[in-house]
Amino acid sequence: MDWAAVLGIAAVLVIMVRYEWPQLKPQMKREKTAYAVLTAVGGALALLLVFYPEMPGPTQGLDALYKPLVKWMDHFIEKRSG
Amino acid sequence: MIEKGKISASQMGKMLYLAILPTAILTTPAITFKFAKQDLWISPIWALCGLIVIFVSLRLHRMYPGLNIVQACERIVGRFPGKIIGFIFPLFYLYFNGIIVREYSEFVVGAFLIRTPLIVVSGSIVLVCAIAARGGVEIVGRFSELILPAFITLFLLIVVPIIPDLQVTNMLPIMPEGIRPSIEGAIVLQTWFSEFLTASFLLPFVADQKKSQKSVYISLLAVILTLIVSNLVTLLLLGELTGNYTYPFLTVARYINLADFFTHLESLFMAIWVLGAFVKICVFFYVTVLGAAQWMNLSDYRPIVFPLGLLLILFSMWVAPNFQELTHAIATSVTLAIITLFVIIPGLLFCIAWVKRRLWIKS
Amino acid sequence: MGTTKRKSVLVLVTLSIHALLLAGCWDRTELNDLAIITAAGLDLTEDHQLELSVKIYLTSPSSSSQQMGGTSGPDKGAAGLSVVRSAVGLNMADAASRLQQLLSRRMFWGQDEVFVFGERLAKEGLAEPMEFLTRHYAPRERANVFVSKGAAKDVLLLNPPIERSVADMLREMSKSQTGLNVKMKELAQMMAGRAKAAVVPLVEIESEQENPTSFPLIRGTAVLKNGKMVGSVNDRATRGIMWLRNEIKEGTLTISPNNTKGYVSIQLLRAHTELIPHIQGDEWSITVRINARDDIVENTTDLDLSNPKHIKKLETELGYDMKQRTDMALAKAQKELNADIFRFADAFYRKYPKKWNENKDRWDDIFPKVKVKLEANPKISRPGLTGKNLFKPNQR
Repeated sequence: MDWAAVLGIAAVLVIMVRYEWPQLKPQMKREKTAYAVLTAVGGALALLLVFYPEMPGPTQGLDALYKPLVKWMDHFIEKRSG
Repeated sequence: MIEKGKISASQMGKMLYLAILPTAILTTPAITFKFAKQDLWISPIWALCGLIVIFVSLRLHRMYPGLNIVQACERIVGRFPGKIIGFIFPLFYLYFNGIIVREYSEFVVGAFLIRTPLIVVSGSIVLVCAIAARGGVEIVGRFSELILPAFITLFLLIVVPIIPDLQVTNMLPIMPEGIRPSIEGAIVLQTWFSEFLTASFLLPFVADQKKSQKSVYISLLAVILTLIVSNLVTLLLLGELTGNYTYPFLTVARYINLADFFTHLESLFMAIWVLGAFVKICVFFYVTVLGAAQWMNLSDYRPIVFPLGLLLILFSMWVAPNFQELTHAIATSVTLAIITLFVIIPGLLFCIAWVKRRLWIKS
Repeated sequence: MGTTKRKSVLVLVTLSIHALLLAGCWDRTELNDLAIITAAGLDLTEDHQLELSVKIYLTSPSSSSQQMGGTSGPDKGAAGLSVVRSAVGLNMADAASRLQQLLSRRMFWGQDEVFVFGERLAKEGLAEPMEFLTRHYAPRERANVFVSKGAAKDVLLLNPPIERSVADMLREMSKSQTGLNVKMKELAQMMAGRAKAAVVPLVEIESEQENPTSFPLIRGTAVLKNGKMVGSVNDRATRGIMWLRNEIKEGTLTISPNNTKGYVSIQLLRAHTELIPHIQGDEWSITVRINARDDIVENTTDLDLSNPKHIKKLETELGYDMKQRTDMALAKAQKELNADIFRFADAFYRKYPKKWNENKDRWDDIFPKVKVKLEANPKISRPGLTGKNLFKPNQR
């Protein structure tokens, strides 16, 4: 199952690159780098999510960032709906 | 400038309306009801964040014409802090759009296409939105112009036939505990009103600048009015049960029965939802792509549309492991984050810009 | 050249993928793959398990190919067959999944407009099945709910002659508003509301079991308190309940005026009930103001009904009759069952939100003592086409 997902991701990446790359003109160095980096990040994230779906995400990051306030709001919501 | 397209002021207003309303209609009544109870319909009036955000974007655009908030930021606080904010904004738009894509697909899968995998639903909407965003701001603007009449017709097709089933007593007593509960209920709504900051990214492309101010405020007013109507209808039909349903407005659509043959209208709601979510995701995705391209100093934003689309799909998977955590996050940390980023930071930027300008005039 | 060709191939591939998805064949279901449920019944078995019975409308594969998912229109060709299947489970969801095992087609709840709860189950409590019915996406909020005297399954097994199926019959009968018409949403609202009391129409089976013409009948009302059935109210008092709940829409009242022989029948055109609560010190009272407009449809008395004086008198009599009915309902609800089925709690909350919040825990003590004052204002607008009875007393 996991490997099927990996194959799927690979297929998507190949289609994307095959479609876009020829349209980038040789002098567009910056664009080429940006494209490559973003696609690589996407592919890596996709693989990570396939193998570690429980990996902490950006929401957990925000939760940690606003921890005291979130606690207070939780308390508040519970009080109201209880 | 990397975007050559132009939109009209009214197109911008329509884009903003459709970019804010659809998800607000669907998910907010249940959360708002927990706080506001039968004053649910009053809550949308407290659109404070919307007013602040619109004021700031309009003023900043007047001070720095042709620049959006991220570009203006570099002028106000300097290159390095500007770059940091310029990085955070597209990233947050990407993350927040991920939440929207997730909400969209959770709803479609949860209420209609039970057996369809989530990724098929989110993947297809993102693909369509990416293609539209690749076409540029003009395309997105025309789409919203096209979709708005359909959206409003469908909305009325749900609201009008339900009128015979409404119980006016459900809204009584009005404000038994003063205005406090309705204001508490409006806290979650501020997330949606803050999204009006998106105006700052669209303002530079407006052809008839004089009308843009009016258009944005009309858009805000329309959002408030529509929310009042949808919340009121939900409340008058469901009463105490409003807080118990995940999608109260869907229940409203399901309940319609006109003359025994005009029934089972949830498909109408589905149409509203898909149309609205399409514009919403499109606009936010466009802002993400534009912001990212500007941050990286690209000459064109088109090449990075599809890689960012892939990231968007992944974010929609990544934002939360399940629906409950998603709604919890929306009600707490996401609200806080969006208020910080969309209201407090732009507000501070505006204050700094204003003071700087004052000092500059004096000297 | 190469790029354009490649591009068009790519576009074609994308388009064909879309064509596959757009056809909706992803989780395609044909009408003849579905077991369309028109009514569901819930009973409690001897060993306290839940028995779910469903009435399935069978669509024959050949006639259904053209008609997808429509709800309206008369059936073409032979009326479809209905069968009843049932299964026992620990709770609603369990029973439903066991029921699925008995069926070759997938259960489809979208057209289910009727839910019947057996009396035994209602006495045990409806909270559990209602939880499933409101949470699951398929059951309709607009479906009618009933409590059956005896087993709900027996009601489903009926095949009444007039309508297509027993579900249609029950639904049409409750729609005529001569009895209570309670939707699932309303039942949920009543059960979760302030009063914690609910009313559900009671279904009885008329005539013997084996008789092919036996049919279900809505007779009286089941009263629920905290989700459990605590008693039932007969037909006459049900009218009283409906008056008090402002649910009377049509009906015929027959009274026998004082000092005369015979009866006058009056048809109700419009009725409106208003609850006006009062709290004075520790005394909670409520004024019920009923305004009604009626037409006379039959007169077998000697009264000349074109005479305004007689009409006045009739109106007083009518008011008295209404009072009797509402008193019956009130006595039953207040004294016997202590169930606030008239939404008095809501009325008090709406007018005195603060007082209510202070006293909401004591509502069970307060409700039986609430003083009810009835102000009935029936107005007879037209005497019908004749004034005096045409026929002399010796002809009758």
